[in-house]
Amino acid sequence: MSEQRSPSPYPLPNAGEETTAGLERHPVRAVERPPFGLRERIYVVEVWLGLAITFRHLFVNLWRHTRRALGLGGPPGAVTIQYPEDPAVVARRARSRHRLLKRDDGTPRCTACMMCETICPAECIHIRAEGSPAVIVEKRAKSFEIDLGLCVFCGYCVEACPVDAIRMDTGEVTLSALSREELLWTMPELLGDEPHGPHPLWPGGESEKRPGRFVY
Amino acid sequence: MPDKPKVKFTLDGRELEAVEGTLVIDAAKAAGIEVPHYCYHPGLGNPGVCRLCMVEVEGAPKPMVSCRLPVKAGMVVKSDTARARKAQASSLEFHLANHPLDCPVCDQAGECFLQDYYMRYGLYRSAVREDKLHKEKRLDIGPTVVLDQERCILCTRCTRFLSQVTKTNELGIFNRGDHDVLAPYPGRRVDNPYSGNIVDVCPVGALTDKDFRFKVRVWYLDETPSLCTTCARGCSIDLHANNRRPWHTPDERVVRFKPRHNPEVNAWWMCDEGRYSYKQIDSRLRLKFASRLVDGRPEAVAAKEAAARAAQELSALVKAKGPQGLAVVLSGTLSNEDLFAARRLFVETLHCGMLLAAPGPDQLGEGDDVLRRKERVPNHIGALALGFGARIPDTTWGGLRAAVEGGKLWGLYVIDRDPLAVWGKGSEKLLSGLAFTAYQGSHANRFSTAAQWVLPACSFAEEDATFTNFEGQVQRSRAAVPPLGESRPDWEIFRDMLAALEAPQAWTSAGGVFAELAKAEPPFASMAFEDLGMHGKRLARAPGPGSGPPGAGSGGDRA
Amino acid sequence: MSDLLWSFLLVCAALGFGLSISGLLGWVERKQSAVMQDRIGANRASIFGLRLIGLFHPIADALKTVTKEDFEPPFALQPWHRLAPTLSLAFSMAALAALPYGDTVVFADRSWSLQPLPLSAGVVFMLGMLSLGVHGVVMAGYASNSNYALLGGLRGAAQMISYEVSMVATLAAVLFVYGTLDLGAAARWQAEHGWGILYQPLGFLLFLAAGAAETKRIPFDVPEGESEIVGYFTEYSGMKFVMFMMTDFIETIVLSGLCTALFLGAWHVPGIAAIPQPWLGLAQVAVFIFKTLAMIFLLMQIRWTLPRFRFDQLLRLGWKNLLPLSLANAFVTLWAVYLLS
Repeated sequence: MSEQRSPSPYPLPNAGEETTAGLERHPVRAVERPPFGLRERIYVVEVWLGLAITFRHLFVNLWRHTRRALGLGGPPGAVTIQYPEDPAVVARRARSRHRLLKRDDGTPRCTACMMCETICPAECIHIRAEGSPAVIVEKRAKSFEIDLGLCVFCGYCVEACPVDAIRMDTGEVTLSALSREELLWTMPELLGDEPHGPHPLWPGGESEKRPGRFVY
Repeated sequence: MPDKPKVKFTLDGRELEAVEGTLVIDAAKAAGIEVPHYCYHPGLGNPGVCRLCMVEVEGAPKPMVSCRLPVKAGMVVKSDTARARKAQASSLEFHLANHPLDCPVCDQAGECFLQDYYMRYGLYRSAVREDKLHKEKRLDIGPTVVLDQERCILCTRCTRFLSQVTKTNELGIFNRGDHDVLAPYPGRRVDNPYSGNIVDVCPVGALTDKDFRFKVRVWYLDETPSLCTTCARGCSIDLHANNRRPWHTPDERVVRFKPRHNPEVNAWWMCDEGRYSYKQIDSRLRLKFASRLVDGRPEAVAAKEAAARAAQELSALVKAKGPQGLAVVLSGTLSNEDLFAARRLFVETLHCGMLLAAPGPDQLGEGDDVLRRKERVPNHIGALALGFGARIPDTTWGGLRAAVEGGKLWGLYVIDRDPLAVWGKGSEKLLSGLAFTAYQGSHANRFSTAAQWVLPACSFAEEDATFTNFEGQVQRSRAAVPPLGESRPDWEIFRDMLAALEAPQAWTSAGGVFAELAKAEPPFASMAFEDLGMHGKRLARAPGPGSGPPGAGSGGDRA
Repeated sequence: MSDLLWSFLLVCAALGFGLSISGLLGWVERKQSAVMQDRIGANRASIFGLRLIGLFHPIADALKTVTKEDFEPPFALQPWHRLAPTLSLAFSMAALAALPYGDTVVFADRSWSLQPLPLSAGVVFMLGMLSLGVHGVVMAGYASNSNYALLGGLRGAAQMISYEVSMVATLAAVLFVYGTLDLGAAARWQAEHGWGILYQPLGFLLFLAAGAAETKRIPFDVPEGESEIVGYFTEYSGMKFVMFMMTDFIETIVLSGLCTALFLGAWHVPGIAAIPQPWLGLAQVAVFIFKTLAMIFLLMQIRWTLPRFRFDQLLRLGWKNLLPLSLANAFVTLWAVYLLS
């Protein structure tokens, strides 16, 4: 009661705002089924029409390839992206590697409410909670780990998060590794505080040690 | 109450019958209709302060609170009309007006009445545009409880518990209007032995358990109906185990006990000592593997083999030195089945010379007239009913010590108790005169480190068993977690020993042992393991004195 | 003796032609499909940084398949499981020998036939080889001792036998026109009277369809169905699998060659007769190979243009459309030939 506080501890963008803009931008279109007459039934004609299309593509592209090979420029003959050399084009809303967000004061936003861990269909999120000295949000994550080897990139964690603490917008999609240990991301790494490195896997590793005394 | 006549009334179009004067909310609950409510608790009365349990009564101009409305003949009550629902929703909106939306960090989330009702009514958009009032967030009001005044909806359940059940009156509601706060009286702390119950009765997250705080979200917990084995009361509990997310509680599988409504035993309550006794189940002292002392050092033995070898050793000594020199120490920590098996082994097969079953100073504690009993064993009366200390003569710790010192004994078999702790310092020397010492139990103690044989038994949370409380109420515990290591139910150990002594028993489950017990013992005659239900059954002749639990009455488990 | 040596040389050349083209067809298939689909296609294999528009991929593929583990399922029926790919490949390669690559070349004062196997009943031989190929398919499906392979083999047998009937009926019409079963004689007839496609346009289309079905390639790849419905070579790996693939490619070459020989004038182009011997022989071979490659190109394009038929559609097309049409074509041709002679 003594100190000044913001009206809500969890300011959410666009709270309570509902929009139908998406529908207007993408109106429903009915696609007419093409007629199925004698010509289509004979099929031979259609085969040649189809061949005309593919031949056109073939020769136009050959022409373009040749022009460019000779250094004459012109439009490209292929839309292929030569991936390892050229950067991958990832859509803005594509789900890429997770990151954890921080509040304005630099503390992690995560309150260890376990919503993401609960919704996660792959059970790839392991959180451990602890009390926090903060005044308003009295709980925080002690550890927050994602095993990308298990993650299915469904994005439910992002949807479930009530405090916008986790997002999948890093644009990083080259996440393959040579060992399972390198697929485990810890909290400082997800926050961007530490470079990513290998970690002992759960269960059994230091990060998630089940006490050995439980021998079933 | 029972002498009052039954009357007919209508509820939501259904013709119902109830004793005249029953509260409408109770009658509805009995008929399977839950009227939302906060302040009403069948064990704590009906002040009608939350104004949530509104129903429409034909002929009444306004909706009425069903928790203060007695049933009358011919009454027509509707709980599901638009008007009643609107009245309930409006009350609910008031409750949330100043309640913070910090469900993500609130331990009550998942078992919160406010959350449940809000989800049910779907009032997702608040009409309140003003800032919420801020009060104290984290008040340390006692050894077990933390108070969050912002979350309190002022239902007064906790203050009523403290004034009616414990009669200690530590908490009160102060100030007026929306400055109302729940707080302890100046200089007081909620430190009575039943303080944990106010967390249970709190419908929201205002009162949270310090021990459980932030440990694990409640929706990960598996609930097993069981009973508390701390004292002879044997309060009915729900045993909450975290089997699904072990990394949240790496040191324990059973994470809390919650009292379960049982009008025959504990009403809705349990004491703090029992509440936190769950820590014993995964305690570091648990014995997991059998061992034998060789040259002063324990040597691991497979549990089944250990039982057989110990039994053979015993039978050889009985043959050589006679059964008179064998003393057995057991007690009501064992379940009825275990005691029955122990009787078969030690009394009927080995004919041991001395037996100690009564709770000595090691098993006596503080008692009161709410719930706690002095005998800190769950099955003291079960042991009596099976003849221990009655038909089978009982000795005392002093008598046992004298027999050991006098060289009359060659063997000592102790189950779940610690003679060395009772006899005090220097008593280890006494054991050197014994040719056979064995400890069987779930937890290590001083005697278990000195005994030649250690046979691990599992705890009540890991086995199916029955316990007879001090009033003769026979209740079941159910296996909630798997046994640790090679620990096994005591009756299984006894069965293996009997098999090694060429007196095999056809026991395959605790239920089977209980069936044989019920056949042999008249007080248990009418019972079957599977029929004990959630509340248990009373012995035909209760062998001990008793008194009912305070405020026992009818009502639901989730009040 | 020199005849024998010449025949041996010609057979080697024909096999070399078939094998090298079939190796290259893997590359053609990838690149042609890539270009027509606005892609680039396989271009990663490189030798000393030289990529050469992916031409090293056939070499890389060969190295890979040769060194790959040849897994034989323990439940397979031996030796039939091992025999099946060999059988398939051998019959299709034998058919290569009867193609009329050229007429005759006059060299060192005598004429040498440019047909490795100048049979008087060459068409019958080729048809026989093509239909014997079905044994490899059925054998592979049965000997794999697996339900998927067996079903694939059964589909393959049904398809190949069905379309063979149409193919024979179609060929009958052409052969009525030429009045011979000798492929070399047919080629000479066409050089004299004009290409077969002019006399038998419908027959050409029917033969193309039936032939494509005979090679088990899209849109008639029901027996294998690489991606969705697993086929008769499911239980094969390594080089044995590649032998089945090669069978397909060589069958494509054989079919294109047969099509060239019977409908496209074989080695004939207008004005070729003006070239003096012995260069005429070389020119004829070049013309024949060029026409064959063009046919392969067309078949490839069809393969990457059309979707796969369903099995019922496939059989209905074979029995209810192609067969009546080809029979009608044959009878009309027979009638016309009878009237005109």
